[in-house]
Amino acid sequence: MGTPTSSTLPTFLASGVAITGTLLTIALSVLYLRRVRMDRPAIGTFNGVDIVVVFGFIVVLPLLYLVLPLTPLLVVLGLTFTSALVFGLRPVLGPARTWVVVGVVIAANIWMGRTMLGTVVGWQLFWVENDLLVVGAAVATANLYVQGGMRLRHVAWFGLVLAGYDAVFTFVWPVTNTLAQRFIGWPFDPSVGFRIGIYNATIGLGDLLIYSLFVIAALKAYGPRAARGAAIISVLCGAVVPALLPLLTDVFIDARTDVIVPAQAAFGPAAFLYYRWLRRTFGAERTMAEFRRDGDLVDGPAAPVPVEARVLAASVP
Amino acid sequence: MFETGVRQLRMALSMTWGRPFDTASLTRLVADAAATVAEFGELGLEAREVIETPFADDTDRADHADRSIRRTARRLADLSPFYAERFAATGFQPRTADATTLLDLPVTTKDDLMSRPRDFVCHGSRPHLATRTTGTTGRALEIWLSRYELEVAAALGALSGVLHDELHGDDLMQVHVSSRATAAVQLASLTCRLVGARCRVLGIVAVDDALDALVGSATAMSANASYLAELVVGARRRGLGPDDFRLRRIDCVSEILSPAVRAAAEETFGAPVSDNFGMTEVIPVTATSCSAGHLHHDLTMGDVEVLGLTSGAPAAPGELGTLVVTPYFPYRECMPVLRYDTRDVVRRLPGPVTCEQAGIPATSAVLGKASQLIEVAPGDVVTPRELVEAVEDLPTRPWPARFRAEQDGGRLRLDLPANAVDGLSGAWLTDHFAGRGLDVRVRVVADQEASGLRRVRSDLRELGFAAAEQAAEPVGA
Repeated sequence: MGTPTSSTLPTFLASGVAITGTLLTIALSVLYLRRVRMDRPAIGTFNGVDIVVVFGFIVVLPLLYLVLPLTPLLVVLGLTFTSALVFGLRPVLGPARTWVVVGVVIAANIWMGRTMLGTVVGWQLFWVENDLLVVGAAVATANLYVQGGMRLRHVAWFGLVLAGYDAVFTFVWPVTNTLAQRFIGWPFDPSVGFRIGIYNATIGLGDLLIYSLFVIAALKAYGPRAARGAAIISVLCGAVVPALLPLLTDVFIDARTDVIVPAQAAFGPAAFLYYRWLRRTFGAERTMAEFRRDGDLVDGPAAPVPVEARVLAASVP
Repeated sequence: MFETGVRQLRMALSMTWGRPFDTASLTRLVADAAATVAEFGELGLEAREVIETPFADDTDRADHADRSIRRTARRLADLSPFYAERFAATGFQPRTADATTLLDLPVTTKDDLMSRPRDFVCHGSRPHLATRTTGTTGRALEIWLSRYELEVAAALGALSGVLHDELHGDDLMQVHVSSRATAAVQLASLTCRLVGARCRVLGIVAVDDALDALVGSATAMSANASYLAELVVGARRRGLGPDDFRLRRIDCVSEILSPAVRAAAEETFGAPVSDNFGMTEVIPVTATSCSAGHLHHDLTMGDVEVLGLTSGAPAAPGELGTLVVTPYFPYRECMPVLRYDTRDVVRRLPGPVTCEQAGIPATSAVLGKASQLIEVAPGDVVTPRELVEAVEDLPTRPWPARFRAEQDGGRLRLDLPANAVDGLSGAWLTDHFAGRGLDVRVRVVADQEASGLRRVRSDLRELGFAAAEQAAEPVGA
């Protein structure tokens, strides 16, 4: 059976992949935050300096990926995924089972990436397995940060800076494009993707990470209603708009006719404005202790408490 | 979190290698710990390992002591006029010093410090704050501390307070120590500042003033045992109970705290009382008491020996001895002492302990000053603690205990004020003391003489204008 080659198929494929990947990552991140308590260092909470450090890695790592030979690059990526999955699964499965599961997932990814990419079905199976790996890593990392004390304020500023970064490194210095090309067809592709016919559509691990960070930080800070708003912004500005934009303009099509959209450029400002609105409306963010105390862990009260009410409550002995 | 990791690493390296602490980094680490508690409501698992002695193993502990002693002695040989002279006179070799060779060095006495204080100040150090002992045993001694020493001691104290859940940002600590103990006062206020807690330094003021400030307000209190006893008496007189206070902990240092006063304080104020050891001369080396009444010595910051009272050799298990303390560099740098004989008497424990702090070396609680031991008969020594505990356990609750004890023909003659034995027969008193292993003949003296019987720190009353005028008012006016 022939594969449809209309101009809308890549767009629908990209939308489907982006929306599915985003929703799945967000949902699992929320579930994880409400049900699993990760280990954290004895002293220390996420702060602005950590944002700078993480951003430094984000700037440096892609450059490193470009200059590293393929094998060391894959080793670095493999170690990154392994550690993220171990961090995330250990509180759920315990140490022994975690290492078995992570070992199987990593080994399967290497094996499938090396042997199954000769057919479309092979690609699709590889993508499904790789997607599990990437979503798992995003869920674990987002929770590691938020359960480590990262606040919505940090995420909002981080998203805003990433918006500029993403635009620059897509249009001015197309590192994103080069990286996307470099990873595809190899194990540990840091993207959630799928293939139909000749088309591959992907959404990057970094995008999924920031979306899930945004949603669970909003959940922690202001409760489920704020988290739902954050999820809508993530899906619309982070997945739907970037996927549909190429229908309106061809500025996102590069010389290889690949479509590369800097999704953060749309998401970052929207997320930042939403954070500012939440802050103005509901006041200070909840701490992790307040989040746990307020019972949002499994099925807590929905409405965020206005800051005035919290101040009043705090002043009553 | 990243910065915190770096700060923890820097602190660990200073503790392990004996390099001076970066006080700014240490201070920020306290803020990190406070922020962690504010964010999560508690610290992460294994938080206490951050500063608690990592030397649970005897071999590691000995290795740490040897290296720290060597480092401290080498520095003193170069910078301390007193110790340079003493090392030369005794042939002590700082470069090969360890816990064994240290035993050959004479102890440093209070007389040494009193007679040549300037020779203890290290070259190049910058004295910042003079602090005085309260002089309850006679003469007051002046010790100079550098700003660095204060900052390190305060930061480590604050970190310990946060890590042990003893001090929060929303705490209010009320401090009742003599204002002459400037180091204790400064450390209390600095510690509170680092944690973000409030600090109310009142000193040894009128008991009712202290209680007025305490009621419904302070959440932590630091006081000497004798003043705590007076507070308990005052609170009970006013009908105050645990519901009137917000205290969640009371720290007691520097005097003998009897079980009777401790229990009464816990019942009256509704907060646990911790009985700790600390001494101006050996800041920041401290010891804490456990539920079994042992005194557990922090060997991270200093070496602690127990020497026989007459032999000067390490005391045998079960034997009485004086605590001899050597604070290590980089914790002390300005006017440090090596093998300082505190003359605080403890008993070496007969064997291993099984309390909650079993991993930390322990002795008995401080039993009193060596000069106050009473040898009733050859080999039969009565310690001040035995007397304080027995007197404060009287049903008349004569707190703090006022007495004078002397050996009297193979027995102990105990002078007690009349109100301490009010309604108690001589036979009852004899039985009471005999039940505590004391063969006592009680002599009753007038209540007016009570304060002259035994000096306690609560006698160092600090008067305000109102109190002074009241005191000066003629009787019957």
